[in-house]
Amino acid sequence: MSRLIDELKKLPGIGSKSAQRLAFYILRSSDEDAEALAAAVRDVKANLRLCSTCNNITDVDPCVYCSSATRNQRLVCVVEEPTNIAAIEKTKHFNGVYHVLHGSISPLHGIGPEQLRIANLMRRVEGEQVDEVIIATNPTVEGEATAVYLSGQLRRPGLKVTRIAMGIPVGSDIEYADEITMLKAMEGRREL
Amino acid sequence: MALKESEAIVLRTYDLREADLLVTLFTRAEGKVRGVARSAKRSKRRFGGALEPLTYVRAYYEDRERQELARLDSCEVLESPLAAEVSYPRAVALGHVAELLDELLPDREANDTVFRLALSVLAGLRGPDIWMPVTYFELWMTRLMGYLPELSECMVCGRTLNGSRAYFHALADGLMCPEDKRLASSEMSVESRGLAAQMFRAPVESFAGTPWPKRQGADLRKFLIQTLQRHIEKKLVTAGMLERIGT
Repeated sequence: MSRLIDELKKLPGIGSKSAQRLAFYILRSSDEDAEALAAAVRDVKANLRLCSTCNNITDVDPCVYCSSATRNQRLVCVVEEPTNIAAIEKTKHFNGVYHVLHGSISPLHGIGPEQLRIANLMRRVEGEQVDEVIIATNPTVEGEATAVYLSGQLRRPGLKVTRIAMGIPVGSDIEYADEITMLKAMEGRREL
Repeated sequence: MALKESEAIVLRTYDLREADLLVTLFTRAEGKVRGVARSAKRSKRRFGGALEPLTYVRAYYEDRERQELARLDSCEVLESPLAAEVSYPRAVALGHVAELLDELLPDREANDTVFRLALSVLAGLRGPDIWMPVTYFELWMTRLMGYLPELSECMVCGRTLNGSRAYFHALADGLMCPEDKRLASSEMSVESRGLAAQMFRAPVESFAGTPWPKRQGADLRKFLIQTLQRHIEKKLVTAGMLERIGT
């Protein structure tokens, strides 16, 4: 029991109390449920890997986005983490493909461009017919540094490099926006 | 306890639990303060972009009884590094300033001189040149922390080094003359010692606009980083990254 609690405590957001609760839940659950959970954990480690084209987590290589005939393979959206893809997919308006960097430039953590998965993005841009790269890194200092670095690396004739817009969230009130959000919103304004 | 208010510079944030952030602030009133910003990851309404490293803010926080960490109530952005383009060299330089402040300053000890220094260097880092503000900051931080040895005399024999060659070593506490230098010492040029003397006399703004390539004062920066690392007994992560940046 204490081994299970110790293992569960390693999960993000799980403290001692939550780990204990989960361990007792598993103990009380049926053999089938417990076995299904263990099998799912085993399968995730055994079958999931990174897509050789876009670095997304996938069980087939290339992933569903990279192998899709209906998606625009000439439009590449660069994101920091695989979880960011789900947020963009929720819009149902983006029909291009992705490239996952698996992080962002973070000097305080010793992460520079060489630690990110940029090399295969460059190969993609050079080898494939890509018209536009959308840089969708987070609007943070680290995300911005990554975006600026990538835009410099991707600069070549015929390739459009764009950055996602930043500013006031939908449904919020301008009155409560901080000055940097407002500044970015003004910078990214568009003509109506 | 009453809510405190102070100008502050955000140094670092760490994830804490599901949606909270542990924030290290360098406040003007109380020096380095660590606090918890509840739900800062989930809701951006209260903090917005105020918790980005090196953001100059007005922070509102309260100390909790028998607890080391303060409760960060809210932050109002006064100046954000995101207002100017964050190039890779600038990101590393900003990270370097944050790391030095975090590693060198003691907790809860106000230091207005360092606060003013940090603000002026951050203003200097808004431009494209990073090497001058970085050199200036390293030099003054080493001095203000009391780690800077005398740069004009040999630490071994006490001979004046003005105008003559001077050497430094990773394990030595000052400069050495050619006769007393240790094996594998590096040289610090007369020009770099002159730059240091100038930087002690003038504010960082007075150097703005002067072209400052990476090689200028590189030996001085190496000496300062070695001195700082020896005192804090650890490697500075951002120092290595700065080293790898091109001219």
